[in-house]
Amino acid sequence: MEVQAEPELDADIAEIGRSLARRGHSAAALKRVPQERGLNLVGRDPKVRAALLQLVDVAPACENAADLAGHLNSYLGQVGDSGGRPVAIAAGAARVPGTRALTGQAARVAINRMAHRFIVGATPEQAAGELRLMWSHGNAISVDLLGEATLTEAEGAAYADRCDRALSTLALDARGWRANPLLESDAAGPLPRANLSVKVTALTPLVRPQAPGRGQRDAAEHLRRLLRTAAEAGAHLHVDMESMDSREMVFEMLLSILAEDEFRSGPSAGLVLQAYLRDSEEMLDEIIGWASRTERASPLTVRLVKGAYWDQEHIEAIQHGWVPPVWSEKADSDRCFERITRRLIDAFPLVRPAIASHNLRSLAHAIAYSRHRLLGIGDLELQVLRGLGDDLAEALARDGYRARVYSPVGDLVSGMAYLVRRLLENTSNDSFLADRAAGADLDSLLASP
Amino acid sequence: MTSAVLDDPMTQFTNEPVRELRRAPERARLEEALAELDRRLPIAVPVTIGARVRDEPSFDSVDPSDPGRIVARATAATSREVEGAVRVAAEAQREWGARPAIERARAMSRAAGELRERRAELAALAVRECAKPWSQADADVCEAIDFLEFYARGALALDAASPLIQMPGERNTLRHRARGVAAVIAPWNFPLAILAGMTAAALVTGNAVCVKPAEQSPACGLAVVEALRQGGVPDGVIALLPGDGAVGGALVEDPAVHTIAFTGSGAVGLEILRKAASPAAGQRHLKRVIAEMGGKNCVIVDADADLDEVIPALLDSAFAFAGQKCSAASRTLVHERIADELLDRMRGALHTLRVGPAEDFETDVPPVIDPDARARIESALADLGPGSEIERAAVPAGPGYWVAPTIVAGAPADSGVVTSELFGPVLTIEPVAGVDAACEIVDGLGQALTGGLFSRDPATIERVAARTPVGNFYVNRATTGAMPGRQPFGGNRLSGMGFKAGGDEYLLQFVDALVITENTVRHGLPIE
Repeated sequence: MEVQAEPELDADIAEIGRSLARRGHSAAALKRVPQERGLNLVGRDPKVRAALLQLVDVAPACENAADLAGHLNSYLGQVGDSGGRPVAIAAGAARVPGTRALTGQAARVAINRMAHRFIVGATPEQAAGELRLMWSHGNAISVDLLGEATLTEAEGAAYADRCDRALSTLALDARGWRANPLLESDAAGPLPRANLSVKVTALTPLVRPQAPGRGQRDAAEHLRRLLRTAAEAGAHLHVDMESMDSREMVFEMLLSILAEDEFRSGPSAGLVLQAYLRDSEEMLDEIIGWASRTERASPLTVRLVKGAYWDQEHIEAIQHGWVPPVWSEKADSDRCFERITRRLIDAFPLVRPAIASHNLRSLAHAIAYSRHRLLGIGDLELQVLRGLGDDLAEALARDGYRARVYSPVGDLVSGMAYLVRRLLENTSNDSFLADRAAGADLDSLLASP
Repeated sequence: MTSAVLDDPMTQFTNEPVRELRRAPERARLEEALAELDRRLPIAVPVTIGARVRDEPSFDSVDPSDPGRIVARATAATSREVEGAVRVAAEAQREWGARPAIERARAMSRAAGELRERRAELAALAVRECAKPWSQADADVCEAIDFLEFYARGALALDAASPLIQMPGERNTLRHRARGVAAVIAPWNFPLAILAGMTAAALVTGNAVCVKPAEQSPACGLAVVEALRQGGVPDGVIALLPGDGAVGGALVEDPAVHTIAFTGSGAVGLEILRKAASPAAGQRHLKRVIAEMGGKNCVIVDADADLDEVIPALLDSAFAFAGQKCSAASRTLVHERIADELLDRMRGALHTLRVGPAEDFETDVPPVIDPDARARIESALADLGPGSEIERAAVPAGPGYWVAPTIVAGAPADSGVVTSELFGPVLTIEPVAGVDAACEIVDGLGQALTGGLFSRDPATIERVAARTPVGNFYVNRATTGAMPGRQPFGGNRLSGMGFKAGGDEYLLQFVDALVITENTVRHGLPIE
C-alpha cells in the first residue's frame, strides 16, 4: 500500500532504531540478560512452552507445593521426549514423593520471580518505591490495577474503589517526584504525573456483547466517579481496550461521558486504538471526528497498540464462522500501525499520540515521522510494558524521548491472566522480542513491514 | 440461493455461521424481521396431508413473554387424519424411496437454502413462539440448516459405501433401503433444529414422514415442512399433523409406521417404547424407536479450577434459555476446598442475570414455555425443606411465564430439585470431598446425557473422561451448544436410545440393510 520510497525517513528510522538498540549497561539491564535467555529457551519448544503456561496459570489455585508439583508432573507428561534433559529431570523430581514438595517450592519461587518482573507490586502503596525509581530513571508511568474477572456487582464496586484510592495515592506520591519537564508537559499543555489505566470490563459484571447498553449504564457512574477523582487529584485516567466483545460498550460510553459538560475541563483522559483490528482506521476517523467536535481542556490521548487478544479474537471468529476482526498476517497489523501512527502525529494537538510498542521499527518510525512533521521531541509519547520493554524504556529515556511504562500492580492470583498473556507474547513465534533475542539482524528488524 | 450440495455433492460440510450479534447492524436486521413477522401474526397452521389442507383452528400457540399475543392458530389432526396421513405417506414413499440418493440429498440441500434465505424471519419466529432469546433462536435456525446439509452428505456416503469382503466367484453387495413411514415427534425447545434433523434424516434415506410438532410450536414446524416441500420433497412424502399428545399417540400406534423419531421427556419416551414394542394385529414389522430424552446433568468443579472461567460457564449452562435444554447443567459438584467461594460468587453473579422478554437483546433469561412448566418448577422448589438455602434473581412485572433463576445450596439428596430434571433455571451447588466422590454421584444417576468438568490437571481430565457414563462430556467450557458434525449429540442410560444426532451413524437408524450375495460361477468358470 505504501510503495513510494521515502529515503530520508528510512535513513532516520535506521539511525534512530540503531541508537535505541544499543543495550544499556545499567545494573538493571545487566540483570535482565539471563532472564531473557531463560524465556528464550522456553520459547523454542511449543510443548515446553504450553507446559510452562499451564503451570503459571494454575499456580495460584494450587493448595501447596506438592499440589503444584503434581500439576507440573501432569503438564510435563504431555511434553514427552521433546523437552530434553532439563524437562526429564524436572518431571522425575515432580513424580517422586521425596522430592515433590521441593520441586513445587522451586517452581513457585521461579514463578514469583517471573511475576515480579512484570508486576511492580501487590498494591499501589507497595509499588510506590519502585515507581519513584522508574520516574527518577527518566520514565513516565501508567499504573494498571490487576484483578480477577468482575462477575458480581460487589466485585465491580470493589475494583472501582481500588482505582479511586489508587488515583489519590499515586497523585500524592507523585508530588514528591523530582521535576522532569520532558515527562510533564508537551506543546498542548501540562501532562499529569499520576496516570492510571482502567478496564471498564472490571467496573461492571454486565458486559454483554449483544447488549452494550447494560454494561454502559452500570459502569457509567463508576467511571464518572473516577474521572472526578482524577480531576481533583490532577491525574490522568486512561481507559484500556480489551476484546471485541466489549469494544462497542467501552468506546461509546467513554466518548459520550468525556463530552459531558462536567468533564470538559478535566481530567486528562485517553483511550486505546488496536491496530490489529481491520477496522481500526475507521475507529480513528470516529475518534478524530469526536475530538474536533468536542471542546476539552486537555486533548484526548490515543494510545496506539498492536493489540493483545489476537489469538482470542481469531479463535472465537473461526469457531463461529465469522471473518476474524483482526488481520491474519502480522505484517498487515504492522503496516496498519504505521498508517495510524502517522495520522495520529498529523492530528496533534487535536489528540495526543502515545505509540505503544516493543517493535523497534514501529517506535523508530513514529519518532522519525514526528521529526519530519516538525513536532517537538516531547510532543510524541512512546509507551512500553513493564517487564517486556525495560531495555527500550531505558534507551528511550537515554536518547531524550518521553517513554511511559505501563506498570501492572496487583497480587499474584489476580495477575496470573496478565502474566500468561505477557509470556505468550514474549515467546510467540512472530514476536519481535523473540526474534531479537534469537539474534535476528537489526537491518531486517528495522525494515519496512 | 444455490446450495453447496447442488453444485457438488462432495463438498465438505461446514456449520452455518451464527450471526455476529455483537455488531449493531446485525441486531437491527433481526429487530426489523421481528417487526415484519409481528404484522403477519397469527400464522395459520393447518393439517397438511398430500395436497389436502384443512385449516379449522382448534388450538393456539402464544408468546411466552406476552401470552396475550397469539403466534399461531393451529388445526389439530384427528385420529382419522393421522391414519389417512400414514396411508398417503406409505403410498408416496415407494416412489421417493426408489429415487437415487443424490436427488433426495439435493432436495435437503435446497431446503437448507430456503431456510438460509429466511434466517432472520425464522429466528424471529422462534423468539415469538418459544421465547428463545435472539442468539439462541438464531443458533436454532443455523442448526436446522446444518442438519439438512449434514444428513444430505451422510446419505450420499451411506449410498456409496460397500465395505464387504469379496471372494473369487462371489459378489457381495450391501445396500441400505428406507424402512417406510417415519413418525417424527418433535420438541418445542429446539422447534426448528431438532424437528428438521429428525425429519431430514428420515427423508434423505428414502422414508416418508408424518411430522407432529410440539403443541407449543406448530408454526416453527410448519416453516420446516414448507422449506422441505419447496426444496423438492413431494407433497405426499411429508405430512404435517399439528396437535397434542393424542396425535403423537395415534402415530406411535399406527401399524403402518416403521420408525419413530422422538425427542422429549423421559416419561413420554418410555411410553412410546412400550407401545412400539407390541405389534398390532397384521403388523409385519418391528417398530424402531429413536428416543432422545432428558438429563440430570452435573458439572464437576475441581479445586484447581479457575472460578473466573467456571462461573460464566455455569451461568450459561444452567440459565440460558431458562435452562430449557436437555443439555443444561442442573447440578454443580464442587470440591469442598473452593465450595464456599464458588457459592458466594455464584450468588452474586446470579443477580446480574436479567429476566425478561425474549425479543429484548438485554435479556439473559427468558420466560419458560408455559404455565405448566412454571408450576412444575416452582412446586419442586417449594418442596425443598427448611435446610436448603435458596437464592433467586428478580423477575419483571408483566404477564410472561417468568421463573426466577435460582441457585440452591444444601438441598436434600432425595429432593426433586436434586433427583428430577426440572427443565428450568435451577442449579444446585453441592460440595464434594473431591473429583472421585463427584464421579460416584454421577455414576449413581439413571440419566447420562451431558456432563461437565472444570480442572486444570490433564490427568484428572483423563480420569473423569474414562469413567463418566454421559454421552457428551464438556471440559472447561459450558455444557450446551453441541453442533452437528462437531459435537454429535445424544445420551446414554435412561437419557435415550439410538445413535447421536449430527453424527455419522445417525442415518443408519432409518434404513434396513440388505446384503446380496451372488454366485458368479457357471460350470466352474467365472462369468465376470
